[in-house]
Amino acid sequence: MKKLVAMMLTAIMLLGVASAIAEDVTLNLWTIAVESDSSYQTFIDAIAAFEAAHPGVKINHEPTQNEQYKIKIKAAMSAGTDLPDVFFTWGMGFLGEFVNAGRVLCLDEYYDAYKDELPENMTANASYDYEGGKLYGVPYTMSEVVLFANMEILASVGYDHIPTTIEEMNECCDKLLEAGITPFGVSGKELWCLSEYLEPLMIKSVGTERLIKMYNGEESWNNPDVIAAVAAFQNMVNKNYFDPNAAALGNDEVKTNFIAGKYAFYQNGSWNCGDIDKSENPAKFQAGLFPVLNPDNASLYELIGGPNNTLAVTATTAHKEEAVTAAFELGRAMSDADYKKGANLPCWTPDPEAQVSDLVASVADIAAKAEGMVLFGDNFLSADQANTYLDYIGLAYAGDITPEEFAQGMDDALYNK
Amino acid sequence: MHRPFSYKLNIFLFLLPALILFIGILIAPIVMSAYYSLTEWNGLGTPAFIGFKNYVELFTSKSINITRALKNAMLLALLSVCIQLPFSLLLALTLSRHVKGERWYLAIYFMPVLISSVVIGQLWIKIYNPEYGALNMFLRSIGLDSWTRIWLGDKNVAFGACLVPILWQYVGYHMLLMYAGIKGMPADLNEAAMLDGCTPAQVSWYITIPYIRPILRVSVIFAVTGSLKSFDMIYVLTNGGPNHATELPSTLMINLLFLRNRYGMGSTIAVMLIVLCFFFAMLINFMFKEEK
Repeated sequence: MKKLVAMMLTAIMLLGVASAIAEDVTLNLWTIAVESDSSYQTFIDAIAAFEAAHPGVKINHEPTQNEQYKIKIKAAMSAGTDLPDVFFTWGMGFLGEFVNAGRVLCLDEYYDAYKDELPENMTANASYDYEGGKLYGVPYTMSEVVLFANMEILASVGYDHIPTTIEEMNECCDKLLEAGITPFGVSGKELWCLSEYLEPLMIKSVGTERLIKMYNGEESWNNPDVIAAVAAFQNMVNKNYFDPNAAALGNDEVKTNFIAGKYAFYQNGSWNCGDIDKSENPAKFQAGLFPVLNPDNASLYELIGGPNNTLAVTATTAHKEEAVTAAFELGRAMSDADYKKGANLPCWTPDPEAQVSDLVASVADIAAKAEGMVLFGDNFLSADQANTYLDYIGLAYAGDITPEEFAQGMDDALYNK
Repeated sequence: MHRPFSYKLNIFLFLLPALILFIGILIAPIVMSAYYSLTEWNGLGTPAFIGFKNYVELFTSKSINITRALKNAMLLALLSVCIQLPFSLLLALTLSRHVKGERWYLAIYFMPVLISSVVIGQLWIKIYNPEYGALNMFLRSIGLDSWTRIWLGDKNVAFGACLVPILWQYVGYHMLLMYAGIKGMPADLNEAAMLDGCTPAQVSWYITIPYIRPILRVSVIFAVTGSLKSFDMIYVLTNGGPNHATELPSTLMINLLFLRNRYGMGSTIAVMLIVLCFFFAMLINFMFKEEK
C-alpha cells in the first residue's frame, strides 16, 4: 500500500514538473510603438511571426507613448523591480545610463550567431567603451538627417537640382523669398528640430572625427569651425530662410506644411520618407544633403545619424535565452519591415529584393555613400548634457547668444572647461 | 483612575489611521524629497550625498536660471491677487444681488474650472495661432496688422499670453467662494445699512467685503500658493518655452527630473516650493490677522 501511495505521489510530482516544462514562457516587451506610431503594425507582425517560430514563447507587448515611455523606463530601471524582459531604447547616452547602473544584459556571447546579418559597424551606438566595447543592445533601424526638397517649387525658381554649394543654396533661398516662398520649414517649438539644421552645418564645418571628440569632451567647442557653423545657422534665421511662424509650430505641423507645398525644403530625419511617400504626388520630392560649409574639414557625405532604435534585454530577466533570442529576431524583423515601409533604414543586411520607394532608395543610397556618421547630439550626450545643448541651440536660433557665446557656453556647460 | 488614560488612548487609536495616512502621504514624501535634495542622483543606482551643493547650484546656475522661473511665478501671483481676485469679487458682488439669470451666470463663470486644463490649453493654442488664430484674425480684421504676434512663440509676449488663460480659468472658482460667503451673510446687516442710507457700493465696501474677509484670506492663499505651484496650463501652452521665457518653478522641476535625470536637483526645487508655499500661507495669515 505504502509503495502504491509513494508511486502515485511520484507520478503526481512528475506530472507537475512536466506541465511546468510545457508551460509557456511569457516575455514582457516594452516599446514606444503605440497604435498611432508608424512601427506599431510592424511590431505586431514581428511578434506574431516570432511566436509562430517559437512555440511556447509568448510576448506580452506593452507600448507606451514616447515621452511617457522615457519616464516609465527610467522609473522602472531606477527601482530595479517589475522590469520587462526586453525593452526598446535609444542608443548611446540613453541606454548608457542603464548599462552603467548594471540593469542591462551584455549580448557579446550571443552576437556571433547574428554577426553575418548585423554588421559590427551597426552596433557602435549600443556598445560602450567603458565596458570594454561590449554590446548591450540590438539596433534594428538607423536614420540620418536628409534635406527633403520639393522639386516643383525649386523648378519654379529655375533649379532642377538641390543646390550643392553654400553659395548656390543662399542664391536659391533668395530667389525663393523673392517668389514669396519660405525656403525652409522647421519647428522652433521642438528644439530637436532646430538641431536637425545646426548639426549638419556643424559636421560639415568641423568634420566627423572632431565632432565626435567634441561630444566626448575630448576637444573644445570653442573653435572657429563651430563658430562658423553657428554663424551660418544664424545667417539663415536672419535672412528669413525659415518660416517666421516657426516658434509656434510643432514638427508635425511643419511636415504637413512641407508636404502641402508651403516650403521648398524640410531638413529632418529619414524616418519622414514614409509620410512623404503617402502624399498625393510623392514624385515631386527628392532627398539630398545640405552643402558643405568647410571643404577643408568635411565632405558632403559626412552625415548626422546612425543606428539608434534598439532592443535591449534586462540583466534580471528570468528567461535569458528566450529574451535574447526575441531581441535579436524581433530586431531583424523590425529592421526589414520598417525599411520596406519607408519608416527607417535597416541596421540588418536588407533583403536584396526588397521593394522600396524612390525616396527611400535615395536615402539608403546616401547612407551607403556615407564617409562618416555622428549620432544626433541629443542622443549622443547624457540626458542633462543633451538638454543643455538643445537649450543653447534654441538660444542661438532666437539670436539671444552670439556664435562665440554658443561655443564658449557649450564648453562651460558641458564640460566645465 | 484609568478613565483619563483610556480616553486619551481612544482618541489616539481613532486618530491613528488618519495620522498614518497623513504621515505616509504628506510628511514622508516631503522628508524623502528633503533627503534627495541633498544628493546627486540620476534616478539610477545609489544617491551620493553632496550636502547643500544643489541649493547653491540652484541659485547660481545660469543654465537652470531659477530666478527667471521665480519671477514669473511671483508675477503670476501678483496678477492673481491684483486682477483675478478683484474681478472675481466684482462678479460675486454683482451676482449676489439677485441678478436675473443668477444661476445661469454662476454656471457659465464656473464652467472653465470644471474643464480640464489640457482642453483649455488646446483651445487657447488655437486662439493664439499666428495664422488662423482668432486673436490675430480679429486684429487683422480691424486693421491692426502690426499688433499681430506669434503669441506663444515670441519670448517677449509669450508669458503674458499664458497669463490670460491661467487667470481667466480660475476667476469662476474664486467667484464661487466669495459668492457663497456673501450669500451666507445675515440679511439684516445689509438691510440696516440701507436703512441708514448707504448706497449699494457703500454696503459692499463697508459691510460685505469686511464680512467675507476670512473667505478673501482663503482666496488670496489659494491664488498665491496656486501661482507658485502652477504647472498644467503652462506645460500645455508652451512647456516653459520659448527659450524658457515662460518657465515656472514646477515646469523647471519636471524638466530637471524627467528630461535631465537630475532627481537631486528636481527635489531641491520641490523643497523650495514647499517652503515658499508655507511661507506665503503664513505671511498672508499674518497680514489678515493684523488687520483684525
